[in-house]
Amino acid sequence: MTQRLLLIIVLFCFGCKKETPPDEQSQQKIILSFDFRVDGEKLQTDTMIYINEAGNHYLVNEIQFFISDVTLHHTDGSTYLIQEWKDIHYIDSDLPETQTWNVFDNIPAGSYQSISFTFGINEEKNQSLMFLNPPESFMFWPQYLGGGYHYMKLNGKWLDENQQISPFNFHLGIGQIYYSYPDSITGFVQNYFQITLPNSSFTMEKNQTKEILLIMNIENWFRSPNTYDHDKWGGNIMQKQDAMRLACENGQDVFTTVVKK
Amino acid sequence: MSRKITYHSVRASLGIPLIVILLLSSCKKEAPAPSPYQPTPYQIEIPFGFPTNLNIPADNPMTVEGIELGRYLFYDGRISGRTHPDSLMSCGTCHLQANAFECGIDHPTYTGGFPYGITGKPTPHVMLPMINLIWNHTGYLWNGAVLNIEDLVWMGVVAEHEMNSDTNRAKEVIQQIPGYPELFQKAFGSETVTMKNIGRAIAQFIRTFISANSKFDRYLHGEVQLSPSEISGFILFTTEEGADCFHCHGGYGNPLFTTHLFYNNGKDSLFTGPYEDPRDRYHVTGDPMDYGAYKATTLRNIAVTGPYMHDGRFATLDEVIEFYSHHLVWSPYINPLMHHITNGGVQLTPSEKADLKAFIATLHDEEFLTNPAFGPPEKFPDEK
Ligand code: HEC
Ligand code: HEC
Repeated sequence: MTQRLLLIIVLFCFGCKKETPPDEQSQQKIILSFDFRVDGEKLQTDTMIYINEAGNHYLVNEIQFFISDVTLHHTDGSTYLIQEWKDIHYIDSDLPETQTWNVFDNIPAGSYQSISFTFGINEEKNQSLMFLNPPESFMFWPQYLGGGYHYMKLNGKWLDENQQISPFNFHLGIGQIYYSYPDSITGFVQNYFQITLPNSSFTMEKNQTKEILLIMNIENWFRSPNTYDHDKWGGNIMQKQDAMRLACENGQDVFTTVVKK
Repeated sequence: MSRKITYHSVRASLGIPLIVILLLSSCKKEAPAPSPYQPTPYQIEIPFGFPTNLNIPADNPMTVEGIELGRYLFYDGRISGRTHPDSLMSCGTCHLQANAFECGIDHPTYTGGFPYGITGKPTPHVMLPMINLIWNHTGYLWNGAVLNIEDLVWMGVVAEHEMNSDTNRAKEVIQQIPGYPELFQKAFGSETVTMKNIGRAIAQFIRTFISANSKFDRYLHGEVQLSPSEISGFILFTTEEGADCFHCHGGYGNPLFTTHLFYNNGKDSLFTGPYEDPRDRYHVTGDPMDYGAYKATTLRNIAVTGPYMHDGRFATLDEVIEFYSHHLVWSPYINPLMHHITNGGVQLTPSEKADLKAFIATLHDEEFLTNPAFGPPEKFPDEK
């Protein structure tokens, strides 16, 4: 809110001025766009056409997730943290407008080695009620289970061991340590993790707009280093830290990158 | 899935109009010439934890005068275009404040909570509450077919299963009633009654129906404690290993206690052919995943809004809890969030059911049900 107020005040001040501020003579922009693939092909939702590493036949209905702390690593060793007031970005497979992120920042020109980000939201930033509006607010993670927000909801169905089509909610967020399951929580586990995107080096020329495509390869959530079997973990995992841990380990190589233009 | 829905101002949010106003005013030197009609802007106060994005159409800003007019019209049976006392019907005939603007299961005329129109034709589905609709951006009615409250007003006037009138009759009758033309002038700058302005006024009134003072809200503000049973119920409500209601019906991070989205929650197995409901979500989106999907209603004040589900199949909350606990039915269209389908339900014990019900009861907001500002006016404009 304070940041929004600031923005308003800034605009207010510039409202009547004609000239542009001196430090904005060159404009370098980044557009991050997002895509979902399974086995190399564009995701087709709602149809049971996929088989994961464990041999489960499955379909995907929808995916919603957050990335944050997007950082550009300069070849000279310095880093640039994207600072847009809304630096936590929400992506939703059903909402095309969330799949393109026009980053607000004016990025310094230069050559960059890689891009990294946090999958989910780090402990310091993951505060309950920081998103009051949908769709982000619908990602809330219950207080009792650690609070803050889901890092991801990946909802789908699989053909279970009884040949029944059963829903799975592959939801990641803060994990819990139980004294006696599912009651008596004695501690929480921060499951967010860092990803450094492969093949994400690029050179930013003056006045350039760089479009970078981030592809989530969904099958990798279930593949390596751990073979994730829906028959073993069942339909829900928000209270199963063992399952969320495997999932987060698998998440390391879920993204691939295409630097366009 | 087809949640292809526009959250009108996800990005813009409230800040943007404010910025524009500030920008405009910051450059102007003198105030514009006073206009003959100057309605008083009405400010919505956003309760703690509630969304800041409001669904107020740009062409219908909330004003004190608009809301006052809307309140008269909402409760005035002559909006049905008739004047004979036996043939009057208003929005308030079906939408009763004491029942969170549903007719309620104990309604003297609409036995069991199944309303019908002036001709006796039953409404296709049972009622929906009018609670916090100013935060609904995803469509009204059980299937979300209507995007604006404004449009529901003329639809209510003409629908065979409601007032079965026509908009010309409605506006002519209102135009003739002494007092109304002045109120239209004050609210909209013209004494001529139009259906558009009738719709605007009633919509403004409905947008003031805010419920944010339940025991649970006061608990969030740290003003009261919940009982051990209510706390257990809250934990059940918001855990997957518990009753698992929160993904669709909200919780701490979503105090509306609804997503205003549409789900098939596992009541039936057949949805096509003879079982097809022409008013389910599928008939809005055309996406087969939406067969048998309806809006997950808010659970605020749920105790007074029976019967439950779009077809009113459950008379009591106990039956609803029994259903989610043991009687879910599988179909290819079931929403993936209903992952307890594999076991037929969330399998609550009797004491867990009691706790869950105790928690849901903390969403009861007596102030909302009795606030005189939402109730019928003491006198209509021609009775002054
Ligand atoms: C005959 C009873 C009846 C009358 C009269 C009536 N309604 Fe309704 N109203 C209903 C029913 C039933 C529903 C649920 C309809 C559905 O979705 O199928 C409803 C739904 C609504 C909703 C949608 C609520 C939501 O959460 O989506 C609004 C708004 C509404 N009515 C406004 C009005 C207004 C304004 C009037 C007066 C012009 C009016 N109604 C007159 C029975 C009535
Ligand atoms: C997958 C989403 C989903 C989940 C999970 C869910 N519901 Fe619902 N709920 C719905 C939908 C959709 C409806 C309306 C269905 C209809 O009318 O056919 C509904 C209706 C209801 C109603 C009746 C509302 C009315 O006005 O008639 C109650 C009460 C209710 N749910 C309580 C619960 C409780 C308690 C839980 C947890 C045990 C729960 N729900 C879990 C989606 C869900």
